Amino acid sequence: MAETFTITIDGKPVEAQSGEMVLRAAQRAGIHIPTLCDDKRLDPAGACRACLVEVDGQRRLQPSCAWKVAPGQNVKTQETSKRVQRHQDVLVSLYMADHKLDEDGLPVETCNGNGLREWAQECQTLTLDPVEAPRAARPGDKNPYITFQPELCVLCARCTRYCDEIEAVNAITLTGRGSNTTIGTAGMRGLLDTTCELCGGCIDTCPTGALVEKKAIEILPQQLERKVRTTCNYCGVGCQMDLNVAKVDGVEKVVRVTSPPPGETVNDGNLCIKGRFAYDFIHHKDRITEPMIRKQDGKLHAVSWDEALKFAAEGMNRVKQRHGPEAMGFISSARCTGEENFLMGKVARAAFKSGNVHSCAAT
Amino acid sequence: MSNSIPEIRDLDFMFIIGSNTTEAHPIIAMEMKVARQRGARMVVADPRKIWLTEYCDMHLQLKPGTDVWLVNAMAQVIVDKGLVDKDFIAKHTEGWPELKANLAKFKLAEAERVTGVPAALIKAAAIEYATTRKAAIYYTLGITEHAHGTDNIFSLANLVMMTGHLGVPFGGLNSLRGQNNVQGATDAGATPLYYTGFQPAGDPAIRAKFEAAWQTELTAGVGKNLNEIMKGVEDGSVKALYVMGEDILISEPNTNHLEHGVKKLEFLIHQDIFMNETTKYAHVVFPGANFAEKDGVFTNTDRRVQRVRKAVNPPGNARPDWEILCDFARAAGYAMPHYSDPGEVYAEIASLAPRYAGISHERLDATPMGIQWPCPSPDHPGTVYMHKDGPVKGKGTFIITNFRPPVELPDEEYPYNLATGRVLYHYNAGTQTRRDSGTMAKVGECQIEVHAEDAARLGVKDGDKVKVVSRRGGVYAKVWISGRVQKGNVWMPLHFTEAAINKLTIDVGDPLAGTAEYKVCAVNLLPVKPGNGDTPEHESDPALVSLHKGNGQH
Repeated sequence: MAETFTITIDGKPVEAQSGEMVLRAAQRAGIHIPTLCDDKRLDPAGACRACLVEVDGQRRLQPSCAWKVAPGQNVKTQETSKRVQRHQDVLVSLYMADHKLDEDGLPVETCNGNGLREWAQECQTLTLDPVEAPRAARPGDKNPYITFQPELCVLCARCTRYCDEIEAVNAITLTGRGSNTTIGTAGMRGLLDTTCELCGGCIDTCPTGALVEKKAIEILPQQLERKVRTTCNYCGVGCQMDLNVAKVDGVEKVVRVTSPPPGETVNDGNLCIKGRFAYDFIHHKDRITEPMIRKQDGKLHAVSWDEALKFAAEGMNRVKQRHGPEAMGFISSARCTGEENFLMGKVARAAFKSGNVHSCAAT
Repeated sequence: MSNSIPEIRDLDFMFIIGSNTTEAHPIIAMEMKVARQRGARMVVADPRKIWLTEYCDMHLQLKPGTDVWLVNAMAQVIVDKGLVDKDFIAKHTEGWPELKANLAKFKLAEAERVTGVPAALIKAAAIEYATTRKAAIYYTLGITEHAHGTDNIFSLANLVMMTGHLGVPFGGLNSLRGQNNVQGATDAGATPLYYTGFQPAGDPAIRAKFEAAWQTELTAGVGKNLNEIMKGVEDGSVKALYVMGEDILISEPNTNHLEHGVKKLEFLIHQDIFMNETTKYAHVVFPGANFAEKDGVFTNTDRRVQRVRKAVNPPGNARPDWEILCDFARAAGYAMPHYSDPGEVYAEIASLAPRYAGISHERLDATPMGIQWPCPSPDHPGTVYMHKDGPVKGKGTFIITNFRPPVELPDEEYPYNLATGRVLYHYNAGTQTRRDSGTMAKVGECQIEVHAEDAARLGVKDGDKVKVVSRRGGVYAKVWISGRVQKGNVWMPLHFTEAAINKLTIDVGDPLAGTAEYKVCAVNLLPVKPGNGDTPEHESDPALVSLHKGNGQH
């Protein structure tokens, strides 16, 4: 069991557990420390330097994401330390000199938000000359889901660390040196020609919207009507996901799927290619939209619900009367909800007195 | 699963058998990878080379269908080395002396001969499993989709109990369920064996309880299972079907035979979101709603009940399936209550089934992690791992298992063994994933994995088209010399309706579970030579046949 003790952050006592980092203790206590490279699922990298804090007894500022708590430790964040605030003002300005800015001089908004923009809004930024060192993209990448916008990348390596530590396919990596560093692949091939499984975890973890979903790149967060937390309809893991709903030509549609924050749900913020990207079927043109019955001509014809229900009930009752409930079968679906499976059981047993009810659960 | 998904990352040992986890359960595989990166050991038993077998510590590459031999030989090693958990066996189990006597038959040298796995590997895996405290077993359809599927599971359960890996965190016997709500469908009572909440259908007291709640007389006893219903369709004893959300003509085994029966049905209702093979024979089609268009719950593989929430409206006049079922029941003359939403339906489930009594939509809405059953009361936190105070049924029974070979083995006429399964990029009959660009970019057509030596003997190379035939039918696929299958074995995914592999598979079911043997059947491969007119287009499309007739070209 981890030992619990108290540290002080900005003059306030904060409960900490041995072995954890200062940033985690602060987050639990609701104390805001900016960060770009931190993701709870990944080992600390201390890469972005946004989370530097003053720690008593340390000559230099230290990254709170990679600095372990200790009993009696005294920590100051930007709230109480001028030195930390000054560091942040300069650092965010340096990042912005190498980032795409909007007409207000702020880091641009993206469909995935932009953590650098939020951080810049908390700081007194300086206007610096833009850095002319464009990062290489992968123009030949034909994968239809994941796109890389190099002018928004801050090289925090969350995406490459995720690809290594969580998905463990190592499809993307930091390539190049110095100002030529970029997020690359072996031989700068497109993702379809690498070990990438298109899980999209890189998009989910990217703090600035440098990696985004191609299909939904035009839809900014403020254009969403709502996000609806639900359970994925593919395999049996039960991942939680947020369906992003926006109006498209006046009709509400699912335009994107995002994962809940790490640590909140059974999937810990992870999704696979099917859950995150394969949602086009929801609004597909092939959907059946009308009830249909087969008429004398042997073809299916669209009819009203009343007519379809009556036709169906008569048909099933006829078989029941002629051959008995034993001659009927009710096949329910592992794709449908628990309530619907319960109701199928009730329809078979209560309405038709037949015990012949099963689902594809057997196979 | 007896245990839980969040426990996986803290395990010290994983035995994964018959589960291609990275493809079928990618997010559980991520947890396994995290465990592995933290130093856990991983043993994978699979006839094929899969992603995990490149990544694990030991790959037990057994011959298809020899799982009982492999697992029993591991058990015998544990007995030989004196590594059984005597306390657990004495306190919580029955039938140990009989099992122990039977295990003596499963000698290591013979195990190597039958399974093809080196004896040293079997021995090492067994010893590591028995001597590691945080050790869990994971299995999927590679274990269950056999005519002896329940024997496979009994063998694994014996292994778990004899080493005391049950009723503890970070252990257990964990079946990874294949579909989003496959657990929930059975939980809810869409099974001939049980009313809602695994209450035996044959128990008169249970029937009386449901008769009182549903205010109608119910039929006594156990009905037909899926395999029996399908057999009934084929032999004509089943005359009407109501099929919701499944394409039985793709998903059930030996579909050619089944199709003849479905054609003769007096009445068929099909309720789905897309037209499919089954719709072709339907008398009525009800347009249902997908998961984004309705409320309810799914129960995942670790017994976790979680909310499904409506985000958008169904298209046109399509409606949520629960509404359709209620209206249909009323139209048929049964006084189904007028539920205002699925939350009310769930309240009825909770009132009838003690193991969900503490679960409600309101409580689920306040619980982002979901609630794991059993959850008998509103103040019960749910159950992270089962059998904490000893096996739920009292004593865990050791069940003797003996090896039975698969029903259909390769012979001269059909010399290859076919196994079927999933790929990461598609899902079941492909109705959803084959309508998306990226999944199709990754895997766009049906490939059959063939061993290089077999391919050389057949005179086919990567990308060549072959006709795959069994005693029941034939389909076309492209050859992929993947380096993953053993010699004499081929493997195909199930997602491609134009290469409907269940025209090939054998419709023998496990005698207890009814689950079909999708993993083993005998096939032959016939190379399709360009220009001989024997192409899939000709067979599937009469228009093309007439178009090409006579000119011999295409």
